[in-house]
Amino acid sequence: MPFSINDKLPLPPVGAEKKNVTCEFCIVGCGYTAYKWPKGTSGTPKRNALGVDFTQQQPALSGVWASEQMVNTVRDRDGKEYNVMVIPDANCVVNQGQNSARGGAMAATLYNKSSFTRDRLLDPQVYAGNNLARTTWEDARDLTARVLKKIIDDDGPDQVAFKAFDHGGGGGGYENTWGTGKLFFKAIQTRSAAIHNRPAYNSEVHATREMGIGELNTGYYDTELSDTLFVIGANPYETQTNLYLMHWAKNLQGATVAAKKKEFEKGETAEAARIIFVDPRRTVSVVNAIDLAGKERVLHLRIKPGTDVTLMNALFTYILEQGWEAKDFIRKHTENFEKTAKANKTSLSDAAKITGLKAEEIKKAAEWMAKPKKSGHRPRTAIFYEKGVIWGIKNYENIASIVNVAILTQSVGRVGTGVCRLGGHQEGYVRPAPPKGMPGRQNLVVVDAEAAQGNYLAFFAWGCNPFVDSIMGERLATSFKRRSDIVKSAMSRNIGADNETMADAIYRACKYDGGLFFIDVDIYPTFKSEVAHVSFPAATTMEMNLTSMNGERRVRLSEKVVDAPGTSKPDCLIAAEIANALKALYEKEGNKEMAKRFEGFDWKSEEDAFKDGFAGQGAKMDSQGGPTGTLATYDLLRANGNNGVQNPIVKVSNGKLVGTRRLYTDNKFGTKSGKAMFQPTPQPPIPKQVANQMKKYEFWVTSGRLNEVWQSNYHTSRLPMPSTRWPIAPVQINPADAKAKGIRSGDLVMLYNDYGSVRGVAYVTEETRKGELFMAFGFPNSPVNNIVTDFVDPDTKIPFYKGTAASLRKIGRVEDIADSMSFKNRV
Amino acid sequence: MKEESTTRRGFLKGMAGMTAAVAASPALMASGNPEKENFYGYDEKVVGLASKIKSAGSIDFNYPDNDSPCKAVMVNGQIKAYSLLCTHKGCPIVYNADKRAFRCPCHFSEFDAELDGQMIIGQATENIPEILVRVDGDKIIAYGVNGLIYGRESNLKG
Ligand code: SF4
Ligand code: FES
Repeated sequence: MPFSINDKLPLPPVGAEKKNVTCEFCIVGCGYTAYKWPKGTSGTPKRNALGVDFTQQQPALSGVWASEQMVNTVRDRDGKEYNVMVIPDANCVVNQGQNSARGGAMAATLYNKSSFTRDRLLDPQVYAGNNLARTTWEDARDLTARVLKKIIDDDGPDQVAFKAFDHGGGGGGYENTWGTGKLFFKAIQTRSAAIHNRPAYNSEVHATREMGIGELNTGYYDTELSDTLFVIGANPYETQTNLYLMHWAKNLQGATVAAKKKEFEKGETAEAARIIFVDPRRTVSVVNAIDLAGKERVLHLRIKPGTDVTLMNALFTYILEQGWEAKDFIRKHTENFEKTAKANKTSLSDAAKITGLKAEEIKKAAEWMAKPKKSGHRPRTAIFYEKGVIWGIKNYENIASIVNVAILTQSVGRVGTGVCRLGGHQEGYVRPAPPKGMPGRQNLVVVDAEAAQGNYLAFFAWGCNPFVDSIMGERLATSFKRRSDIVKSAMSRNIGADNETMADAIYRACKYDGGLFFIDVDIYPTFKSEVAHVSFPAATTMEMNLTSMNGERRVRLSEKVVDAPGTSKPDCLIAAEIANALKALYEKEGNKEMAKRFEGFDWKSEEDAFKDGFAGQGAKMDSQGGPTGTLATYDLLRANGNNGVQNPIVKVSNGKLVGTRRLYTDNKFGTKSGKAMFQPTPQPPIPKQVANQMKKYEFWVTSGRLNEVWQSNYHTSRLPMPSTRWPIAPVQINPADAKAKGIRSGDLVMLYNDYGSVRGVAYVTEETRKGELFMAFGFPNSPVNNIVTDFVDPDTKIPFYKGTAASLRKIGRVEDIADSMSFKNRV
Repeated sequence: MKEESTTRRGFLKGMAGMTAAVAASPALMASGNPEKENFYGYDEKVVGLASKIKSAGSIDFNYPDNDSPCKAVMVNGQIKAYSLLCTHKGCPIVYNADKRAFRCPCHFSEFDAELDGQMIIGQATENIPEILVRVDGDKIIAYGVNGLIYGRESNLKG
């Protein structure tokens, strides 16, 4: 436990330091308050900084309380120890005082030498013969710069590949995407780039952008006003928790009818919302929605995997046949309608055959989304999608087919509507483009596939874990290991050499012997550290000031609370270290032109990177702040507190930043013509690679997230509760399949196909259907991506993580695993 | 501190060497016998009869004081007792005897009564606190609480 208590909390004394923190985990970006006070001082049950009288039992829901995971002890660089408490902020409009299982444990994730976070990376490391050994920043950056310089000079910058976060929240943020982006794209000038969770450098939502609609166009408050929520390929109770529990739940229970009456047109019907889920699995989100709204107001379309486009096209066709489309809007504000309507024509009966749904179910969904309400008004439908379709059979058509229905029903721009991705992590994008620009989406390099095949001389894995989050993970890991070993033996032969000699040996091993120089930037050691030659320790949320935006474009300054562990630094300053080291090498050589490329990194703090990037670039760069991002300052953001400001910023008024609740209220869309563009979306076929696996192997395998586990499980595999709950990735198996295979919950099982194999623990449940397995994603000790094919959508280079086939074998039983986790039904 | 407490609650595991543990936690101290922890400061209290649990399936009681509702249930032939205040936001959790699990109606957290209150799914950051009980003849005696009860800075308030 972060804190050594069991039945008693330390309390912040009155006057304890108080900071705003945005949750470092999911896209919802809940607001938290952090208190910090010197160890040894304490508030009393009656008098404390929380202003709570703890001699009284706190009431349910509205009570202020900290669980043991919400407190910790840290040691700052001044050598002193402090207690820290991080609790959800009741005044934040996003979460209104509520935490999820993930965010509530933020205090526990802080570095504490006597807790499970003790293995945080503290100092840079270089490979020293047997293992990585701690060294100085000067040494690590000098060696790195020398190797990079040789590659840039002799082989060109594209031989330096990088895979890095592009997001907000912990391990991201505007400061850090800018710092890393500026290093790789402006200074090094490589185009061999891939994003943390996918094999190329691409948007996950090219389609909606090209149709003129940015993917985060509504606000959470608007979802309290929707008549119908349509959710496809997403499981928001587990992955966008407080959006579901604090906003949707109210609407489903009818608690927002009064607000609807205020915001709707005169005489317009205002009732509790209905919700539609499209998901092959019976998810926790579906089951809980039934509790909230009642069976009659929840529709679960248990679709056959990979047939979402057909469903969307059938909805499109049926709505049109009924005359429920938004005629006036389509005429004035859209283009490509006729062509799309013709190309996408799909009858209910055909759709039923392909999707495995009943025609009646599809009809009902169409009615909920588009049939005029009792008052005759068009229903206000909010449409949400996420990885189930983003990482589906074909990324481009999947998204486009959803947006088509949104445009058809004018589910964008109006109160209570929107067509949005739900999102995984928060956002935090501001980066330059490489000098010649990136190739078009169809010509993007699939960096991970190239690396697996032996391309590149240097590879940065920055704040991500390519072994867990890429296509054909097993093949990629094997290749990295083999190529890393080549460099390691060269380094071993040169132990004791100066950095120039060492850099030369490394370079030669890469250039002539097939080696790969691997640089790791992270906060914990992971399996990828085993292939690294240099490692830089990074800081994360609460260890630096960090700005990001959530799923409704709400930008906050998440303040620094504690010092980063050891000598670790914010990623933007690590990027600056490397850039400045390269600059020094070029200057020394008298190469002014190259030295100039590495200028502009004289940052003293993350705020300097913020001023240069988000607040400095405006419309000059690809920035989520847009032209008015330049209005933002740390001071103004701090003044707006945990409620921040929703991008785009409109103005500063009385010292407050004023933003935008919902986009496209003026029906001006992001295309050349300003009109929203329909797109023909034929049902994509099953990719060849996947079809081959389906022929040879027994089960369809899909994957996804678990409520308690975050991203590559870096913090959560260490925290006591999630690590006990999920020691390795569960494989959900339908009872009928389990019976046929003689498998019980708790058995270790192996999934295997032509691409590799992966172990997991059997979890027998009705969540999945017969013939379909579901495995949790993102577990480094059991990465389902080992059995994912190398297929990517040729139009966007986004993989089909959600679909592969594999056979299932029982390995046996490890009693400690079987006995320590619950296998009870979650639905 | 023991490597592993009798209750095997995750957060007590691996705490050896955390010297601050005892200092910050006057109420909870290991007695040296891993089978029996002494929870100093807690009063022993007869909370019901074992025969009643056997016939009724469960009994409700308050412990360590009247503001803390708890339930004792029979699982796998053993009496286990838990706080009824959800460790998420304090709503009263409801026992499902068929599933031998508690569910919270507020945000749907579920806790496994057969596994020391482990959260099956949900939004709490702690498992549900276990009320330590022993049986003396037909009497069920509560003698401590493992885990902080919702809404308190100390289980023994005031
Ligand atoms: S819902 Fe998301 S942002 Fe909110 S506390 Fe949970 S993980 Fe953090
Ligand atoms: S109060 Fe129990 S789940 Fe939230």
